[in-house]
Amino acid sequence: MARRFITVEDIHRANGAELVLDAETVVTPQALEAARAAGIVLRGPNGNYAEPAPDRGPDAGNVQRHLPHMPEPPSEFSGGTGVVVTAVGRNRPGILAQITAALSQGGASVIDISQKTVDDWFHLVLTVELLGDATFESLSQRLSALGGEDDFVVRAMHERVFRFMHRV
Amino acid sequence: MPFTDQEILETLRMVELETLDVRTTTLGIDLFDCADPDLESTAEKIYTKVVHHARNLVEVADSIAADYGIPIVNKRIAVTPISMIGAASGSSDLVPLARALDAAAKEVGVDFIGGFSAYVHKGFTRADDALFNSIPQALAETDHVCASLSLGTTRAGINMDAVVRFSGMVLESARLTADRGGLGCAKLVCFMNPVEDNPFVAGAHIGIGEPETVINVGVSGPGVVRSALARLDPDADLLAVSETIKRMAFKVTRVGELVGREAARRLGTMFGIVDVSLAPTPAEGDSVSDILELIGVDRTGAPGTTAAVALLTDAVKKGGAMASSSVGGLSGAFIPVSEDQGMINAVRDGSLSLAKLEAMTTVCSVGLDMVAVPGDTPADVLTGIVADEMAIGMVNNKTTAVRIIPVPGKGPGETVEWGGLLGTAIVQDPGRFGAKVLHNRGGRIPAPIQSYRN
Repeated sequence: MARRFITVEDIHRANGAELVLDAETVVTPQALEAARAAGIVLRGPNGNYAEPAPDRGPDAGNVQRHLPHMPEPPSEFSGGTGVVVTAVGRNRPGILAQITAALSQGGASVIDISQKTVDDWFHLVLTVELLGDATFESLSQRLSALGGEDDFVVRAMHERVFRFMHRV
Repeated sequence: MPFTDQEILETLRMVELETLDVRTTTLGIDLFDCADPDLESTAEKIYTKVVHHARNLVEVADSIAADYGIPIVNKRIAVTPISMIGAASGSSDLVPLARALDAAAKEVGVDFIGGFSAYVHKGFTRADDALFNSIPQALAETDHVCASLSLGTTRAGINMDAVVRFSGMVLESARLTADRGGLGCAKLVCFMNPVEDNPFVAGAHIGIGEPETVINVGVSGPGVVRSALARLDPDADLLAVSETIKRMAFKVTRVGELVGREAARRLGTMFGIVDVSLAPTPAEGDSVSDILELIGVDRTGAPGTTAAVALLTDAVKKGGAMASSSVGGLSGAFIPVSEDQGMINAVRDGSLSLAKLEAMTTVCSVGLDMVAVPGDTPADVLTGIVADEMAIGMVNNKTTAVRIIPVPGKGPGETVEWGGLLGTAIVQDPGRFGAKVLHNRGGRIPAPIQSYRN
């Protein structure tokens, strides 16, 4: 195991103008300051010292290997990411068109759609699949920009949440 | 099979109306490699390691919340008990290590960091002694640091010397934070049979068998269970009540499992456990007390309440165990008095006494939590309260805890406002009698016969 940390004390004890560090060694902010003040150059294996990526420990690697194999409730979606879109609000002509236009611009294809109206109010549930490079984040932003107070509210949620919650 | 409208709307209702959330994602960070003969260097290493590992924690948790539409309310850090890390320095003042933890918590933007802790269930090391002496000052000086102490285990018995010192420490913490209603004590908890992967504060820390880093998730969901029971026919029998709670606990735990897996993947670390605990907040409807009343007692604290807590805790565990193979932590139902509006009301109305609360802790998942007592409560009374709670856990092989706040300048029936998640408390009356001889005896209550299991 490489040396874990370099502290101010280590800088004070250093002989010479240069300290050569292992790849995993982390220098404390105080030691960085002390080295700068003392004119000591900190070198890693590939040039000047740069903070290494966190070493999460020996178990982390195993987990990263087995995590993808953890069973999940089966998905309806073959390739793309599934998203459940819901909208609730006051009914008026053009809402569905507005939402489906946003879905189309966001790269989402509609798999299932259901709408109900009660008096002046509607609620709409769409299950869609993201295709190609489309991302959940951009779709979600596009949808949340629609409607507004006294009109309607749209919400997008990853289908994985519903799968985990409602399927064994 | 596609999702039905009913399933989709149920999930939305849970999030939008029933305050379903992931209460905490807690990154556990082992600090053994930070031990150094020099205390300043130890502090430097602790700060550096915590920041190094937790720098992205808040960002990752927020990105998961955005992607899955499930709020992740708190992001926290748990570390190795600091008495073990400070030991090599030989220092009798470990407050600088609390400052390092606090500074690191501020730097990475988490709300609490737990682990200013010691295991003293059998006895004290020099470093444990130093930590005990440092806790009141550390809690008064820092904003985010939480301290927890193991005062007993079923295997070791109860270290009554440590219980006595804990009582003194609680009074001293209250005194040093008197201007804030004794708030220091809200960040201090003692345990019987502590769990080493607890993601919830104030008891969060990482035990010695834990890996280098680990993500533990604490779910919540009293609001979800409450609404499900409110929809249940009042004539439904208790099997139906248990089944309803189980189903809801399953769904809530699954959300925790999903978030835990995703957080582990995004941070590149290990997924430890989901703590399936119904953790109330002062928010309307997010109350364990309301659930107990829906199960069937007139008011929380009335006869029948202990049975209701037993049913609730068991059903939550069973639903959770089906939903995840990694259920851990405390898992069950919390009954923190000041954090639950229903409990506060029950105390105000004279329904929930301290004695009844103690009875309820025999079957809940933790113990006396966020209980306010008068600021002039004698140390021997606190010793008695803590010893009773420790004994319940010891004999029943379960975790119990005490987080008690002697509110300076307040007497029974008076109100103290801590604000935020810690809520409001009504000072409870511990009675006129204490346990002076027990307090003065000290020593150790030996391990019970049921601990001899080899």
